[in-house]
Amino acid sequence: MSDDGGLALLLLGPAGGAGLYWALYRYYRNTDKSHAFERETTVDAKPVTGAERDRKVDEVKGTRETRIDGDNVREYRKRVARIRGDSS
Amino acid sequence: MSNNTNPPPVPPYSGPGSPQDVPPLPGSFGVDPATLPPPIRDELLAPDPVAIDTSAEELKDGANRCPKCGATDIKQRPGTDLLICLYCRNEWHGQRVEEEFGFGEGLDDLTGTIIASGAQNIAADVSSLMTYKCTGCGAEVTVNTESTMTARCHWCRHVFGVNEQVANGAVPDAVLPFHIKKDDAVARIRQFVDKRRMFALKEFKEQFTPENVVGVYMPYMIVDGKASADVAGHGEILTRTYTQGSGDKKKTYYDADVYQVERHVDFTVDDLPLESSDKRGNLDIGANTNNIINTILPFDTKNAVKWNASYLSGFTSEKRDRDVEHLRPRLEEQLLSIARCEVEASVSRFDRGVRWESEGLDVHGTRWVSMYLPVWLYSYHQPGRNGGMLHYIAVNGRTGETMGSVPIQQWKLLTAAITVGTFLEGIALWILGSSS
Repeated sequence: MSDDGGLALLLLGPAGGAGLYWALYRYYRNTDKSHAFERETTVDAKPVTGAERDRKVDEVKGTRETRIDGDNVREYRKRVARIRGDSS
Repeated sequence: MSNNTNPPPVPPYSGPGSPQDVPPLPGSFGVDPATLPPPIRDELLAPDPVAIDTSAEELKDGANRCPKCGATDIKQRPGTDLLICLYCRNEWHGQRVEEEFGFGEGLDDLTGTIIASGAQNIAADVSSLMTYKCTGCGAEVTVNTESTMTARCHWCRHVFGVNEQVANGAVPDAVLPFHIKKDDAVARIRQFVDKRRMFALKEFKEQFTPENVVGVYMPYMIVDGKASADVAGHGEILTRTYTQGSGDKKKTYYDADVYQVERHVDFTVDDLPLESSDKRGNLDIGANTNNIINTILPFDTKNAVKWNASYLSGFTSEKRDRDVEHLRPRLEEQLLSIARCEVEASVSRFDRGVRWESEGLDVHGTRWVSMYLPVWLYSYHQPGRNGGMLHYIAVNGRTGETMGSVPIQQWKLLTAAITVGTFLEGIALWILGSSS
């Protein structure tokens, strides 16, 4: 067996213990819960526009990452730089 | 007045008229409008946008009377939206605010900020103690609106409810009566805790008495809004996957095309609830468990009825202490989150994900209604550093959705985690030993 595989196997104990601790902690304390307003509010949206303006700007070759760096497409509540309009 | 043709001087950075100055009172203009030319005067004297008036005219004197017999001993009939007179058993239904004030309509035409009369700004100098002169006997009855909205005259047994919309934030536009009865709430809390007993704090289990649950009316702002949002960033589409090396050195590589992505969405939201109490709106999980109460949202706010203090008889209430302007940043944040959720489906072709880098929000119109929502609340105080932690178990008084925070017996959970970790490590060592 390789060193990498052996090391990963040795980490099984601590990782399993810590994982169980956090899973049970969250199950009891529910610290990760809040109102899912994104899903639970009645939202009436017009069709999303802008897809026609997608343009290729670059290429990535030979990366080992499976996702784009800084992927936040599902992290709705993580705020990014805010553009302030002149209205509202 | 002299005819001066010179341009007006550039306003100094500080001093009168600068943003550093205390703003004038609303409605004050500094010059008598009558001295101004008619077009300007007409504009100034035109009425301000009025808030939707939800204060009930017939309930002004604090005595809440049965429409049939005039008695004041009125309660909500448990499990229904009906009010019942305890004297003549007459039952009647409060008016739904949805139809009465048209709160569900015209979302697409929403412009500006419309504030219902119960959601107006709180005046700092208005006391939370309200005193009434009893219409029955003339005695004085005091209601502390911090925690309760009804009181009984000690002398003649008349019941008083705070119905006039005083500017202390205690009287909302609408109330959503409890539907879940106490027995039901107790059963739900028991069921919730029964699923979380093994690692629960010993004292919590010993002192667990769900019968002590209290019905609380919590203050919320129910917001309708119309907004548009723009988001921009980069997305990647996978073009090629290949592996290099062999055996244990095998590694997977990916090629991808990077795109500049921009999206725009126009949307309306209906009945978004926001905590209008500073304390409850603070969802810091390190200091409190208010996120539990936040989780049992939403409510069927469409069924809310016009404010009538009789619904609160027998329940406690918390007072609103946040104005519309305090809650606006929170609303914008939530609208942005909703927008980001809405555009997600339109970027599904970027199978390596999207990194949003900037976002903008344009709120076209909002409508604010203040409402009391029903929550069954069980609490347990766990002693500890910084005053300990107050653990809540909350049941939505309409839908029965239950959420809670059960305190943990740390040593038990740690022991279990370490035991499982050791067991897994044993298996790992055995595999390593047998393979080498």
